[in-house]
Amino acid sequence: MEFTREIYWNVGHGIVTLAPMYLFTAVALAVLVYGFLRRLKIYRLGRPVERTDAPLARAAEMLRTMLLQTKVLRVTGPGLAHAFFFWGFFLLFIGTGLIVVQADFTNLLFDYVFLKGTFYKVFSVTLDLAGLIAIVMLLGLFVRRWVMRPPGLESKTDDMVMHGLLLTILITGFVIEGARMAVTELGSPIAGWSPVGLAVAKLMAGMSPELLLDMHRGLWWFHLLLALLFIGLIPYTKLRHIVTTGVSAFFADRGPTGKLVTLDLENEAAESFGAAKVTDLTWKDLFDTDACTSCKRCQDRCPAYATDKPLSPMQVIARIGEQAVEYPEGNLIEAVGRNAIWSCTTCRACQEICPAGIEHVGKIVEMRRNLVLMEGEFPGDEVMTAMEQLEVNGNPLGLGYASRGDWAEGLGLSSPEESDILYFPGCYGSFDKRNIAVAKSFVALCQAAGIRVAILGKEEKCCGEPARKMGNEYLYQTLAAENIATIQGFGIKKIVTTCPHCFNTLNKDYRDLGLDCEIQSHPDFLAELIAQGKLLVDGGPFACTYHDSCYLGRHNNIYDTPRELIELAGGEIAEMEKNREQSFCCSAGGGRILAEEKLGTRINIKRVEMAAATGAGLLLANCPFCLTMFEDGVKGANIEESLKPKDIAEVLAERLQV
Amino acid sequence: MKLLVCIKQVPDMESKFKIGTDGWYDREGLAWRMNEYDEYGVEQAVQLKEQTGADLTVLCLGPEQVKETMKKALAMGCDRGVHIADDQSHLKDPYEIASIIAEFARDKNFDLIFTGMQSQDRASAQVGVMVAELMGLPAVTTIVGFAYADGKVTVKRELEGGVKATVEVAPPVLVTCQLGLNTPRYPTLPNIMKAKKKELLSIPAADLHKASGLQETAKIEFPAKKGGGVFLEGEVSTIADRLIGILKEKTAVLA
Repeated sequence: MEFTREIYWNVGHGIVTLAPMYLFTAVALAVLVYGFLRRLKIYRLGRPVERTDAPLARAAEMLRTMLLQTKVLRVTGPGLAHAFFFWGFFLLFIGTGLIVVQADFTNLLFDYVFLKGTFYKVFSVTLDLAGLIAIVMLLGLFVRRWVMRPPGLESKTDDMVMHGLLLTILITGFVIEGARMAVTELGSPIAGWSPVGLAVAKLMAGMSPELLLDMHRGLWWFHLLLALLFIGLIPYTKLRHIVTTGVSAFFADRGPTGKLVTLDLENEAAESFGAAKVTDLTWKDLFDTDACTSCKRCQDRCPAYATDKPLSPMQVIARIGEQAVEYPEGNLIEAVGRNAIWSCTTCRACQEICPAGIEHVGKIVEMRRNLVLMEGEFPGDEVMTAMEQLEVNGNPLGLGYASRGDWAEGLGLSSPEESDILYFPGCYGSFDKRNIAVAKSFVALCQAAGIRVAILGKEEKCCGEPARKMGNEYLYQTLAAENIATIQGFGIKKIVTTCPHCFNTLNKDYRDLGLDCEIQSHPDFLAELIAQGKLLVDGGPFACTYHDSCYLGRHNNIYDTPRELIELAGGEIAEMEKNREQSFCCSAGGGRILAEEKLGTRINIKRVEMAAATGAGLLLANCPFCLTMFEDGVKGANIEESLKPKDIAEVLAERLQV
Repeated sequence: MKLLVCIKQVPDMESKFKIGTDGWYDREGLAWRMNEYDEYGVEQAVQLKEQTGADLTVLCLGPEQVKETMKKALAMGCDRGVHIADDQSHLKDPYEIASIIAEFARDKNFDLIFTGMQSQDRASAQVGVMVAELMGLPAVTTIVGFAYADGKVTVKRELEGGVKATVEVAPPVLVTCQLGLNTPRYPTLPNIMKAKKKELLSIPAADLHKASGLQETAKIEFPAKKGGGVFLEGEVSTIADRLIGILKEKTAVLA
């Protein structure tokens, strides 16, 4: 016998079936297209931004994100359920597509049938299992959302509609199959190739054929209308993420990671800088708001949210989205809220985890730029004072610029012209007592390796990173231009930093302003020296935990080298729960180093408590801001005696073998 | 209405000072900024300009480099700048400086002149009042509150012992500004850009320099290092007793 089935069995092949079916389908597709065209009008409110270069790589990334569910799967529980649901549903979509192709094209026009024989067997069993998996996963997600109700997960009408609709479509599909099989396939060997349908058919076996036929016909139309409703609803509900999340991956920022857009401040035609209303954001920023599924993964990882500050990256995106629809010319900053805007540490935890590729940090910085450049507003007077100090003395601490190089007196540094590397210690390495110790350790390591080190001394200025992240693009560009002129004036070939903020800024942001020499972070540089055999460190085993700074970790993907360095020096790392890509900010990023933390609880205390929970007495860092915050945090948490924060360079210098 | 605000460029007080060879501090290796008290003057003048639509001139005496500081005042909202070019201004005494300013301002019909209460470097607190005296204007010093309405200026003066006086005065008048008057604004980017194009007139000091100084700097030296702080250690109750003893002995706070 031929393994196949009759498409349109029982519902009829004639015009009576096809005409309304095609008509309804056309209506659903029209509603879908109309809905997206309306959304498109919203995206077009945004400013232009180039996101179509390297289209093939972008398409590959989009397909990878969608089909392999790579980003969704980074959170295992709900991620797995979503991925399997997606795969199940996707197979059903393909299966339905094959039926359409055969029934409405190849068979209709050329009498060609391909859903038969072995292919039909595979088709049938695959779709049956896909449907079952989709139902099980959807039920799991249903229980999570409506029964377990994880904190922070908002459930709206959209979610109810999605769950209800999808579940009904899947279940009616099996009931229709069961009814058909109860009449046509029970007892036949073909039934085994539809195991779920067979199970349903067996349940219906006692029913009269008339009832089965009526039920089949009724449910077939019901199922079709629900499926078309699903299609039509896509642009109007959160279902739109089926399209927008994937497309967002296509339009993703292709890096360098975390590099901000350099504003053209001399542009005479620019009436405004930064974002005061949604139309000041880019179209991708507005598109992002449609890609968001409110999965709250960003919110779960936001250090500001975790310490009761009025910032949730998810809510920022939601507010921008509402504003774009309702008041595109309205005040965006009021809608998002100043306290939310200023609370961000630009740690990038939100952006890193976002399965929809949403770019939160850039939007927040754009709003800050507007507040600072157009309104002269800061989160507090202390920040304004720090800005003025940066203008006058080139450091936010307000210390005399001429003493910037005093820390290195007597260390035997070389002149920039005769050096192997220029060491850029930054403001904290130059002026802050605790971080001067780190700078000295770094110099000691270099000198032990025979590297001639120079500094710019009083000619060095703040790299401008805290000012920039606070929105003060003008001050940043002023400081950057002076630093670049100085560095180029000495013909420097290579710069090493001990501050990841300096590293990220010099290595990425300064490129736009003309800096072209090599920049290296101190863990990378020291690892090279060790690999070349120029540096020998060993001091027996010691226990520690290691904190990934946001700017070495998430911003620059440097996770392994610092760990290898620590292990080379004898360190046994007890990892904190939040490590690597999910590391928890120290609180000082995003220019927050300049600001008092007045809202909620202290981020740094929360972080040192996580470090203390590892039981290791040593907290290793790679960033002067982190170190400063941890020194403060251990005092605040009253664990000064049991937890010592140190920079990697310090432990290496202590264990230096000469 | 015409307003004048007089500002001075001073070294940042965190700078490392060295005594120079010309009877004043060495000007090398210092970071420069607007005198803090003058910032309050600029802010108040800009607020008054915004309130009344007045025309606001900022004046600064000194070498070429003071133009940087004047640009900040222009970015904060002053309409035009008058730079009295003088490479030796740091060696002039308050009377000479006041004479130069008065000479400039005499025929300009300013309704209000703002100056800082004193400069952070020389701290004589004389220039403002002497300008008023030389121009025959009333002067109100150390103001911490300012209001202008119905052609009258109402200011709050800070007196000794936390007492404040309210003074009402009709323009023309000169006021000297004290900490607490206002919070100086941070210039916005469009205003910084506009400031670059504002009129900045330079007048050689010699053109206005008609009086000679009345003071002579005899000597300049760092204060002798005296004993630093005192650490009280031990039990809280004994520390408290010792603190009360010191306060009674050395201060009047418990009197």
